[in-house]
Amino acid sequence: MIRVNGLTKIFSSGLKAINQLDLEVRKGEILALLGPNGAGKTTTIRVLSTLSGFDEGEVVVAGHNVDVEPEKVRCKIGLVAQQTGVDYFLTGRENLELQGRLYRMPKQEIVKRIEELGEYFELGDALDRTVMTYSGGMRRKLDIATALIHKPEIVFLDEPTLGLDIKSRQSLWQYIRKLNKEQGLTILLTTHYLEEADQLSDRVAIIANGQIRVIDDPETLKNDIHGDSVILTFDTDGPEVGDFTYALHDDPDIKDIVWDNDNIHLYVDDGSKAVPKFVALATEKGVGIKTLQLAHPTLDDVFLKYTGTTLEDSGEEEGEEWWHQWAGKGGGNGKWEKNWQKWQDQLDETGTEEQKSSWAEHAQQWQQGGDNKQEATPPQQQSKEQQGTDWQAENKNK
Amino acid sequence: MLADTWYLFLKYTKITMRMPMWTLFTLIQPLLWLLIFTQLFKNVVDTSNFGNESYIDFFVPGVLVMTALFGSSWSGVSLLREITAGSVDKMLVSPVSRVAIVLSRVLHSAAQVVIQVLVILLIAWLAGAQLNLDPLSLLLTMVSVFLLGVALAALSNGFAIILQREEPLVMIGNLMTLPLMFLSTAMVPKQFMPGWIETISIINPITYAVESVRAVLVGTPDLGAYSFGAVIMLIFAAVSLAWAVSAFNGLRD
Repeated sequence: MIRVNGLTKIFSSGLKAINQLDLEVRKGEILALLGPNGAGKTTTIRVLSTLSGFDEGEVVVAGHNVDVEPEKVRCKIGLVAQQTGVDYFLTGRENLELQGRLYRMPKQEIVKRIEELGEYFELGDALDRTVMTYSGGMRRKLDIATALIHKPEIVFLDEPTLGLDIKSRQSLWQYIRKLNKEQGLTILLTTHYLEEADQLSDRVAIIANGQIRVIDDPETLKNDIHGDSVILTFDTDGPEVGDFTYALHDDPDIKDIVWDNDNIHLYVDDGSKAVPKFVALATEKGVGIKTLQLAHPTLDDVFLKYTGTTLEDSGEEEGEEWWHQWAGKGGGNGKWEKNWQKWQDQLDETGTEEQKSSWAEHAQQWQQGGDNKQEATPPQQQSKEQQGTDWQAENKNK
Repeated sequence: MLADTWYLFLKYTKITMRMPMWTLFTLIQPLLWLLIFTQLFKNVVDTSNFGNESYIDFFVPGVLVMTALFGSSWSGVSLLREITAGSVDKMLVSPVSRVAIVLSRVLHSAAQVVIQVLVILLIAWLAGAQLNLDPLSLLLTMVSVFLLGVALAALSNGFAIILQREEPLVMIGNLMTLPLMFLSTAMVPKQFMPGWIETISIINPITYAVESVRAVLVGTPDLGAYSFGAVIMLIFAAVSLAWAVSAFNGLRD
């Protein structure tokens, strides 16, 4: 139904909102674009619904190229944008009627369709009240109804439940699901609610920095991270944390290590066996564990795995600690070395003799093996670290 | 396109009808001018050799044009609100004619101005202004005012799209309206103006709107003078509208 190849969109400010995005939406499915604010979700929807132009790529919606035949695309799609585009001073019926007119539908058909939609969305008497008197949930429903007036084949829902309370949200999910199941409507929705993507969609596409990182059904994505996740936080940010993480790299049971701010996520096959081991290791290295969480992977873990950040944090500036890179994310434009120096200075000033000698030993070891100073890898870690950011992927295959 | 324009025009009219107070508020300022300014200047005018017209007769066409100026120069503000509210996207995603979106807004604004002008005329008449109120003069007056309304509303919409923000748009509106009034023949005839203002008034389209209205409303109707003013208004309206439409087509980011 929708085919996007190599879509790139650069704003006049120079910001690359979408970067070589590929996407295919199948007929009759609900596909959720899951990503943080600024990931390019809305921009993608705007391009697909002919509202925005783009710089590169090919976009075909409902059999028509959006660049060549936008008119034909418009007749086959409905858009529910983030802002409710319904007019507050008009009644629900008037809003629907106007929309029908804009799609050049004959009067009788509009009247019939309004009845159907009013019934479907249980708008009832509210149809003849001005939209100003509607609740947020009702406005959303009316907004979706206006987008359906001309019986489109594809509907784009941009954050359909943003700002709604739990009850309205769940009721809206019901409607959306029913539309898809009963009328075979193809739905592309964007969301930054994990639950929404998980519950509503047939497939989830995780989008970050204008690219689709992974696309599959939610179950497969979750199963991909087999086993359990152990999430730790520490009561210190001293050098011993780095020491601890370094030791974790040697543990063959750990399939993946991902830092998310001050939380470290460790993915293991059997959480109950791994936890005592981690605690023992932490004690050995003198790291105090502040919190420990054992959980089955959620979509949030999937998100973390593919984007390196959790959905909640991803909107914020990444306050990345130096050992995060060390724990597998690589790169850092020399930040690593700077932090290394900082750590050394700190150690010289306040460290115990024991720590200093242990540090010197480590440093010697690493310098021997580290041809690449940027990476400054310990010898036994080299094979993993050379992969840089691919370290996660490599671990998965282990 | 015409049908699209008509349905959108109906929508805006409905919205206006549901908040009649707003339309009335925009009348307050021209009314203040009409009632206070004429009283204030009455004696000044009487002591000067203003000719045999009373000042209120002379000033009414100016107030009518002022009403059009104040009434339609804010049309762009509501376009920005519609863009923010998502209504414009809702229209753009439908196959509606893009020209119709601008045209319906501008026509609505101009039609609103015509109604306001009729109210002002009625009040001027009650205040004792001696005007030609035969149907033809009225009709021709309305045509002029309507064209001016179209031109100004189109400019306002065009600026709204280019500026994208409400604050600078309001600032430009405020900055433009009063000087345009003073630098035209709305308040004083040409012979009373200093040379430089007279020069500016010649290139000020407001002058031609005022002169065309004055030509039919006050004294002996002069159709020749009217037509000249009206044709300039027509050109002004057409150019502004074309500019607004092209600005709107460039809205796609």
